[in-house]
Amino acid sequence: MNTWKEWIFTTDHKRVGVLYLIGSLAAFGVAGIMALLMRWELTSIGPTLTENPSTYNVWLYAHGAVMILGFQIPALTGFFANYCIPLMIGAKDVAFPRLNAFSVWLFYVGIVLAVLTFFIPDPPDIMWTAYPPYSTITSGNTAFYTFTVLILGFASILGGVNFLTTVAYMRAPGMSWNKLNIFVWCTVAAFVLQLIFVPVLGTAVTLISFDKYLGTSFFDPARGGDVLIYQNLFWFYSHPAVYVIFLPFIGVVYEIVATFARNRVFNYKMVVYGGIFGIVGLSGVVWVHHLYVTGMADWIRIGQMVTTLLISVPVGFTVIGLVGTLYKGAISFETPMLYALGVIFLFLIGGLTGIPLAITSLTLHLSDTYYVVGHFHYVMAVAGTFAIFGGVYYWFPKITGRMYSETMGKLGFWITFAGTNVVFWIMMDIGVKGMPRRYFDYAHFPQFENAHQWMTGGAALIGVGFALAVINWIVGAARGAKAADNPWGSQSLEWTTQTPPPPGNWKDVPTIREEWDPYAYAQR
Amino acid sequence: MSHEPSAHAAHAPEWEVSVWPFVISFGILFALPVAFAFKFVYGLSFAAILALGIGTPMIVAGIAGWVKEGLGSHHGAGLAFPAMGWFILAEAMIFLSMFAAYWFNRLTAEAWPPAGSVELPRIMPLVMTVVLVASSLTIHHAEALLHAGKRAGFVNWLVLTMLLGAVFLGMSAYEWNHLIHQDFTTDTNVFGTVFYSITGLHGSHVIVGLGIFIALLLPALRGKVNTPFVKTASLYWHFVDIIWFFVVSQVYYW
Repeated sequence: MNTWKEWIFTTDHKRVGVLYLIGSLAAFGVAGIMALLMRWELTSIGPTLTENPSTYNVWLYAHGAVMILGFQIPALTGFFANYCIPLMIGAKDVAFPRLNAFSVWLFYVGIVLAVLTFFIPDPPDIMWTAYPPYSTITSGNTAFYTFTVLILGFASILGGVNFLTTVAYMRAPGMSWNKLNIFVWCTVAAFVLQLIFVPVLGTAVTLISFDKYLGTSFFDPARGGDVLIYQNLFWFYSHPAVYVIFLPFIGVVYEIVATFARNRVFNYKMVVYGGIFGIVGLSGVVWVHHLYVTGMADWIRIGQMVTTLLISVPVGFTVIGLVGTLYKGAISFETPMLYALGVIFLFLIGGLTGIPLAITSLTLHLSDTYYVVGHFHYVMAVAGTFAIFGGVYYWFPKITGRMYSETMGKLGFWITFAGTNVVFWIMMDIGVKGMPRRYFDYAHFPQFENAHQWMTGGAALIGVGFALAVINWIVGAARGAKAADNPWGSQSLEWTTQTPPPPGNWKDVPTIREEWDPYAYAQR
Repeated sequence: MSHEPSAHAAHAPEWEVSVWPFVISFGILFALPVAFAFKFVYGLSFAAILALGIGTPMIVAGIAGWVKEGLGSHHGAGLAFPAMGWFILAEAMIFLSMFAAYWFNRLTAEAWPPAGSVELPRIMPLVMTVVLVASSLTIHHAEALLHAGKRAGFVNWLVLTMLLGAVFLGMSAYEWNHLIHQDFTTDTNVFGTVFYSITGLHGSHVIVGLGIFIALLLPALRGKVNTPFVKTASLYWHFVDIIWFFVVSQVYYW
């Protein structure tokens, strides 16, 4: 059979993973260009790039929806989960390889739909949140948004079913639950969240298309409906979605940090049973903090403030585990490690700036300003993307069998890191001073024009840095030096097979010895 | 801890492929979003029918090819049952969110049922409940016969289950028709909206269940039965049955 057919029709988890990576990086490119277009538009007061505010809305829609649904979630729960989990647990493949191939092609169908946004008349212009009543009365194509979410969501659910079954039943002999990599635990938790919460989002977005095209009245107050149902259903998924992104990305960071600090994971059981389990347990009871300003009973508002502040405790456990792993480690600063340390830094800023947003009295001032945008880009968007880039660098030798350029990798990291802090720090600053989010134009806020110009410059830096990384991978995959089986000296199982791994992963399924541990580095 | 069947371990190391997932995925692209958008967003009915005409055969052919491949392979054999358990968790959440939308609307309404609603039938849902419960018992019996090695009996009871499912759908269609003729539709008011959405969502699950049974029946008629898949399909059918109790109690008798 031809090589390209072996790729397109593959059911092998590694190749499915690589397909996920290619698709999600393409999505990242598209959504990143949308961000640059928005930043360009905002360089000056008045129309800069387009006269039409609706065009700006389409960019805003495509940036948010594609970044979250087309890039971060598929890269983390598609690419990393597919590539790493069977190798980390010592399995030959996932439980249902054909179902896995189905997931990845559904993902591509979702990407096709998302990209069609730029070619169809009346593209969706409803942001990624698609709040009614606007989404049910706009002339934009809300149906494409609904189907993009449904198809990507269905792919996620099938992936969740597949991987939970795989981890539960296909671990290598001797691979007990407490020997699993932190990444495996994190991803399992993320898939549990996906299974519980994605259907709720699916329902919510289906109901807006029902209302818009089939005449139902879920969100139409004139006929007894209520728009707040949508906001509740939407955030009931979309807040846990933050943990669907956070958990796998912090898992990737754990793998990188343990390897480059050459140290055991600090307090493994606290991280797993306190941190990861705690996040899963609390993730379903904090969504109302997205609706603080919609008006609600005080007891709900205060209760949600308490749970929102409380969930920072398990999240804190996971960060303490990282810092403890660094402590007394023999740290070296290869590119993946730079990205991992970058994640810790960005996540710390993002996490701490989230606390004022959780507090109901402060959030009234901050709601719907650039402060919110800066916060979630620090905590989730850029931290997650840094983890994805670091992870791709980290497993790059295993995937391609070749090495990337270390100099170019580090250069790309520092450029992006600088750009990130310029953009999102300024964003939080002008947000506190009153710059509202989602505005196409800011004639009423001329005092921020200079800040907007700085942010556009920073955004360009981010773009250059990420482009350097992608170029580095393409060149490395084609012409890099041959990589050894275990170039980083990691103890984890995925590095023990040959590079790149053959079909079926192992000649014989490995048997795990009693004393084996994925982080068994010499103690100091 | 590995439950992998040994037949899999003996595979020669070559890249495994299957065209069917690819075919079904792009079939879905044409049959759902493209067809829906043509019809409801751009008002192009003919283009919508064309898209359906391209997508549906791809999906059907894809499922048929997949089932055929699946019967001859040992991937995941025995794991389908726990996997269905996870899938049902997701399914249950779909129903829970529909019910949540219903409860939210109902509990904040000034009056219930809202103006324009009609009296729902009282006897029909009871009969439908009996039929669906009976079908759960018949599929359970079919499974028991299969375990006892009685293939012919299994096929007969499977067919009986499918008939009961079809009768259930028929009664549902009759009831919808009856109500629509009384001018009670999805856009009458929010009760019409949730009534048709929730019963329709449940009915679509009955249809999917029947589709799964067809995918079991056709190979079974040619003597090919995959016991774990029968067990899995039966689990799904029981789930659809249990959900019906929630539909009946919440929508008809509250």
